[in-house]
Order: sequence, then structure tokens, then C-alpha cells
Amino acid sequence: MIKDKGVEEVLEFIWSQREQGSNSVRELLAIEEVAEEADMETLRRMAGNNLIKMDGDTVVLSLDGEKLAEAAIRRHRLAERLLTEVLSLDAESIEKNACSFEHTLSHEVTDSICTLLGHPPTCPHGLPIPKGDCCRKTGGELKPIVQQLSALDVGDTGRIAFIVSNIHSRLDKLGSLGIVPGSSVRVHQKRPAFVIQIGETTLALDPEIIKEIYVKKVF
Amino acid sequence: MNHGGAKAQSIDGEWLVLVGNPNVGKSVIFGALTGRYATVSNYPGTTVEVSRGTARIGGKKQGIIDSPGVNSLVPMSEDEKVTRDILLNENVGSVLQVMDSKNLRRSLLITLQLVEMGLPITLALNMYDEAGERGISVDIESLSKTLGLNVVPTIATQRWNLDKLSDAFHHRSKPNSVIKYPEFIEDGIRRIEALLPSARISARSIAIMLLSGDPTLSGWVEKNIPGKAADIEDIRSGVQTRFKEPVGYIINRVRLKTVDAIVSDVVSQEKLGKSKLSTVIGSLSMHPVWGVPILLAVLFLMYEFVGVLGAGVSVDFFETTIFEGFVNPWAERVVGYVFPSGLIHDLIVGQYGIVTMAFTYAIAIILPIVGFFFIFFSFLEDSGYLPRLAVMVDRIFKLMGLNGKAVLPMVLGLGCDTMATMTTRILETKKERIIVTLLLALGVPCSAQLGVILGMLGAVSLSATLWWAGVVIGVMFIVGLLASKVLPGEASDFILEIPPMRMPQISNIVLKTLVRVEWYLKEAVPLFILGTLFLFTLDKTHALKYLEAAGSPIIVNFLNLPVESTQAFIVGFLRRDYGAAGLFALQKNGLLTPVQTVVSLVTMTLFVPCIANLLMMIKERGLKAALLMTLFIFPFAVLVGGVLNFIFKILSITL
Repeated sequence: MIKDKGVEEVLEFIWSQREQGSNSVRELLAIEEVAEEADMETLRRMAGNNLIKMDGDTVVLSLDGEKLAEAAIRRHRLAERLLTEVLSLDAESIEKNACSFEHTLSHEVTDSICTLLGHPPTCPHGLPIPKGDCCRKTGGELKPIVQQLSALDVGDTGRIAFIVSNIHSRLDKLGSLGIVPGSSVRVHQKRPAFVIQIGETTLALDPEIIKEIYVKKVF
Repeated sequence: MNHGGAKAQSIDGEWLVLVGNPNVGKSVIFGALTGRYATVSNYPGTTVEVSRGTARIGGKKQGIIDSPGVNSLVPMSEDEKVTRDILLNENVGSVLQVMDSKNLRRSLLITLQLVEMGLPITLALNMYDEAGERGISVDIESLSKTLGLNVVPTIATQRWNLDKLSDAFHHRSKPNSVIKYPEFIEDGIRRIEALLPSARISARSIAIMLLSGDPTLSGWVEKNIPGKAADIEDIRSGVQTRFKEPVGYIINRVRLKTVDAIVSDVVSQEKLGKSKLSTVIGSLSMHPVWGVPILLAVLFLMYEFVGVLGAGVSVDFFETTIFEGFVNPWAERVVGYVFPSGLIHDLIVGQYGIVTMAFTYAIAIILPIVGFFFIFFSFLEDSGYLPRLAVMVDRIFKLMGLNGKAVLPMVLGLGCDTMATMTTRILETKKERIIVTLLLALGVPCSAQLGVILGMLGAVSLSATLWWAGVVIGVMFIVGLLASKVLPGEASDFILEIPPMRMPQISNIVLKTLVRVEWYLKEAVPLFILGTLFLFTLDKTHALKYLEAAGSPIIVNFLNLPVESTQAFIVGFLRRDYGAAGLFALQKNGLLTPVQTVVSLVTMTLFVPCIANLLMMIKERGLKAALLMTLFIFPFAVLVGGVLNFIFKILSITL
């Protein structure tokens, strides 16, 4: 099985074309990024390597191709999430970096990122992220996960892992109220405004701030 | 609204300062120690200005300062800055830190900062009963030993153990436990310390504040070490490059770590089963679904209590029985005996007489309404409902460039706009303070006016009430929306502490109502007399007829109101409630139709702010901003009234 960057890219695009309901070779090769990496010849070679099946203008993934494409899509979309939420990069650099991330991440690192982000179901664009082994493990085997405070349910308690904010005054203000990594907070209600409890203090907070607070859920 | 007594003074010149987190009971303790009343409520930010008083301890007078609550001595808002400046600039002898026993973690964060300042400190572990109810116990001896401070458990509202606090006046030993920060920060502290002159508080503490990048200290630096600001900034940014996170945040985290270590040593929490009823009510009142009927119920109760019982029943009693049946005839007899007729007779008991108009309006119409309103409002304040209301309306206020916190001054405005304008200090950005000041001046009717309005509308119909409320709220919303677009600056984060629901104490409600009523009488009655004298002069010189004639194109044609209402609007320039009382009298005499009632009330509600409020606006926002707002409000109010009248006419609504 040949695994190179170009082939992975093409497999990914076949995957995402399929999500949009297309399996046309012509449409696939019309995509700018695909055209840069591949032509009809590449596709034929991939078919020869048993990664895809072609029939006239239709192209589908083979079992092996499916696996490779799924893993690549998963790495790409998880990378997008990581870059958006934790590192808060702008849209352009997210896409650029996500593309290079996806070819270098190992299986273990991918699963760790997935766990760190709390096994997100979708990428920032709303497309589904294929599940990995880490997502399928259940119960006690599930490692503590880090997620946005806003993702907790009402009544849940979380221990703050980190706070991602570019606004210094906000960090200071939260700090003076005892909201720092290591503190435990309980979600009291989410609407009409977010209300949390920290110790015996009850606080109403902007949803924007809540999204910047990442917690490990406490069971 | 408590006017800090400038006369209060300390004999030896040193003050005892009460410091603590918001809503921990500083004002209660201040009141108990000094016998002066400082407004006490159950929401953070009640005290926005400094109260000073004197206590007599062992035959010696001691000056005491009550400061606004803070979460950190690195200020985030104007009221927090006030407290920091007291510690920095006043002659502070010792500090009494009032702590919330059930929230020791946050209280100790301030204690550590006070310790750094090198001030003598006594700790009052207040609300000791509430901690007990929640299964929290504090090892006082161990806490005292760890910090080297005198610790007294107290329950201020029941005055329990407050006598033991008198030690705080004599306590002069300074604690010496200091926190060690990471070496890069310690190095920065040492280098800044070397630049600082000797001050009342330790150079180390000032150095730490400067290193935290506290912008509110720039004035102090300019004054005390001119020309050194750049050096300090060099040191600060030098230290900052060593860290990924802001230095202030790291300092705070080191403090919190120390605090957490102390807390885990001295506090033990016992698991309790059922939640209390007050907790349940507290949760329901900010519940997305149940919160709405509770809000409506509160409004309805207010209408019943203030509008029906206050403005209806008790005004009837005061006006008809007491004044018309007793005071006015009696005054007329006495005055008539001395001055059978003429100017002085008219001045006292004539149509625009001081007794027959000013006193009747102030005492018989407004006073009962204000009294009833303040009782109701004090109950709301002390229960802890208002911050929950802020949670309910946060989203709506966001549209006006504000956040839920702004509802506190707005609701307070229903009591008194002057007081509320001062309370805008709890808001963090200038933009928010300007918008709320404008909305208060424009559309929030104060208790006196609101009571009269509710009384008048109650006499018409429910739909009239809804029209009035709908138009006023709608107009305020639109103005707020536009103001938030036009004004530069940003909204601040919505971070608001929700205090526990508490059963209000009758004694505090009575005291607070009395203080507010007294304040109202002192402020309003002189203006009422002034306004009456003004009308009297206008009437005697026949200028009133000319003014009515001059105003009639607007009053009669544009607003379609009877020409007599002109005088109500004239006195409305002095106080809107006085103007409203004038309309009230017109309506009682059958001179206003339902449509005219609503149009005149909408116009009067939006009318210019009263003189006291205007002065407060000038004080808080500056002369230019205050004048601009007033110049906008006056024609705008008339315009809205006219448009409303037009709408009623077009749709042939009679109400």
C-alpha cells in the first residue's frame, strides 16, 4: 500500500465529494487542489493499488481506501478544531496548518487530541468527524476529557483545565473571583444567562467567557 | 443616597477602614459601630460612595470609613478604585476586613493583599450563621495562627459578637507572612521598589500592583515619582517577556494557591442533604421558564402595593380626609384671620399656595406613594431578587450595548433617578455609564412619579397602562439601541455575583425606608415650594396666561391636551413628579380624557430630568454630556407624545 501526501489528499476529496452527494471523476478532477496533486493517471494508479474503484465517470473508495480516507479526514478535522478552539488561530492559518498537520499526526497523537477536545462530533464547519478507537471506548476506560464549560450539562461539575482568553482584564477579573485552573465549577443553569457556582459563590457569566473556560468533567 | 458625613472625624487623625468583598456586610457593621445608617441591601455594589462615621471606643473617638466592596485591590471598576485609593492615600490606622465566612477563599485573596500592604488588620468572619447552615465550619484558632491576625466570628445583622470588634481599633501589630512569587517577579518587585518613595502602605505592595500593570495607578505615579513611569514600564515588560500569561494573572494565581492551602487547612465542609426553600426560590426566579411568571408576579404585586394601596387608598386618605378635610380649611382659617385677603393670603392658601399646593402635593400625594414604593423596593433589594432579574434580562440589555448588570441602576431609578445615576459607577465602561445615565434621565420614572402615574392609569384602564408602559419601554429600548450604535467604546463582560436569597429583615426595611423618605422630604419639598412660588409669581404677574398661550400650539394642538396642563409641564422642569402630580389633579377634576391621560403621562415620563438628577448627571458625566442629554430629551419627549397622540387619532383609539 503506497501512502503519500498526494494520494491521501485525493482520497480525502473523494470522501468529502461523497458527503456532498457526488461520485463523479470529472467533478473530482475539476477541484483545484485535486488538480494540483493528481490527474487521470494518478487515479488509475490508485485503482491499480486497490484504493479506489472506477467505472466510467464514477469513482468509489475501496475498503482499504475507505480506511485511509477516514483516518485522514479525522486527522484533518480534529486539527481544525484544535487550531480553532484551543489555539484561536484565524481562518486562513487554520486551513494551512490543518493541511500539514493531517499528514504528520500519528495514531496515538490523533486520539489524544480527540480526547483533549472531548471527542468532538463535528469540525468547525459542521462536517462530521469520523470516530476513532478513543471515542468508542466506554465507561471507566474513558479518560478524563477536556471540554468547554458550555458543553457541560446543568448540574455537572468540572475542574478548570485551562482558560483561553486573549483579554487580560478578563483573566484578571475571573482570577479575582477564584476562577483559575484547578478550581471546580458547577453549572447551575445555561439560560437565559449562564450561571455557575464556585464554592459558595454563584456567578452569572457571558456565554462568550464560558466558551473560553475548558474543564475536565468531574463524575 | 447616604450623604457621607464630612463632619465625622477621627481625633488622632487615623481612620479605621472597613474593607471586603461586595455584599459581605460592611455597611451593617459600619452602621452598628457608628450609629450612622449606610444603605444596606442584598446585592453587590450597594455602597458606591464612601461613608464616614465616628465610634466612641473607651471614651475615645475613632473615625471609621465604609468602603465599596472589592474582589481585588487591583481595581476593575470605579467603585473598586475608590477603595484602593482610600488605602493608598488616606491616613489609615488599621483595617477591619469583613469576610463572608462561607466564601473564605475569595475573602482571603484580599487579606493576602492587605497583608502585603503592611497594614494592621483584624478579620471579621461575618455571616457565620450562613456558613453553619451550609455545613461549613472554620477553624478560627488555626486561621488566626496561620495569618498572625485577630479573627472574630460575627453575625452583623444580629449584632452578634460585634462588641468584640472594638479590639480592631487598638490593634496595631502588623502581620509579617508574605507570599513568595516566582524569582523573575520577585526581581521585578525589588527593582520597582527601589524607585518608590516611602508611602503609607508598603513599597512592596505598590510594586506588585505596578507589576500587575494596574492602569489606575498612573496618576499616583505621575504625582509621586514624576518621570519614572517609563522606567517602571520597562521593568514590567521585561518581566512580562519571561511569561506566556500576563504577570498580573500569575501573581493572582500564586496568591490563590496560597489561599487554597490555607482554606484546605482551616475550612471543613460537611455534606448536607436537602436544599433550603430560599435556594429553590432563588433558582426558580432566574429559571428560563419560571423566571418569567415570577417577574410578572413581582410587577403585579408592585402595582397592587404601590399603585392601588399607596397611590389609591392612602393618597385618598391623606388628600381627602387629612388635607382637604382638615389641614387646608384649618390653614385657611388661621391665615384668613391674620390676612383676610391679599398677596400673603394667596401665597399660603391660594390656588398656588404653599400649603394648598406645595404641601398638598408633596405630603398628601407624593409622600404616601414614595413611602409605599420604598417599602416594596427595600424588600426586593434585601431579598436578593435584583441580581436574578439581571440574569433574566441580560440578553435584552445586550442589544442596547449593555449587559444584565445595568438593570441594577435602572431598577434603582424606579426609586430615585438621582441615586441611580450615582450607582452607574458599578458599570465598567464609560459607554455603558453614558447609556444608562441617558436612559435614566429619559425614561425611568422615579417612585414619586411612578406612583402618581400608576394611580392615574389605574383609574383609566388596563389597556391605558399597557400603552403607557409599552411606549415608554419601547422608546427607551430604541434610544438605547441607537445610542449603543452611535457611541464609541465597548460593552463590558457580564460577570455578576448572585447573592443567596434571604428573608429581608423588617428592621432594615423600616430603617432604610425612613432614611429614604427623610432624604426625599429634604430634597423634594424645597423644590416643590420653589416651583409653587414660581407658579404663584407667574399667576400674579399674569405671565402664566402668556406662557399658556405660548405653549398652546404645542400643548393644545400638537399634544391635544387641555391648556391647563401647561402649568404641570412648567413645574415638570423642576421635578417630573411635581408635574405628574399636577396632571393627577387635572385628571381628578375630570379635565383629561383617557387618551389625553396616556399622552400627557408618556410626555411627562420622558420629560427632562429633575434638578437634583441633572446636578448628579453633571457631577458624574460632566457638564457637556449632561446638557447634551437634556437638550435631546426635552424636544424628544414632546415629539413622542405628539406622535402617540397622532397614532391614537389615526386609529381612533379611545382606550
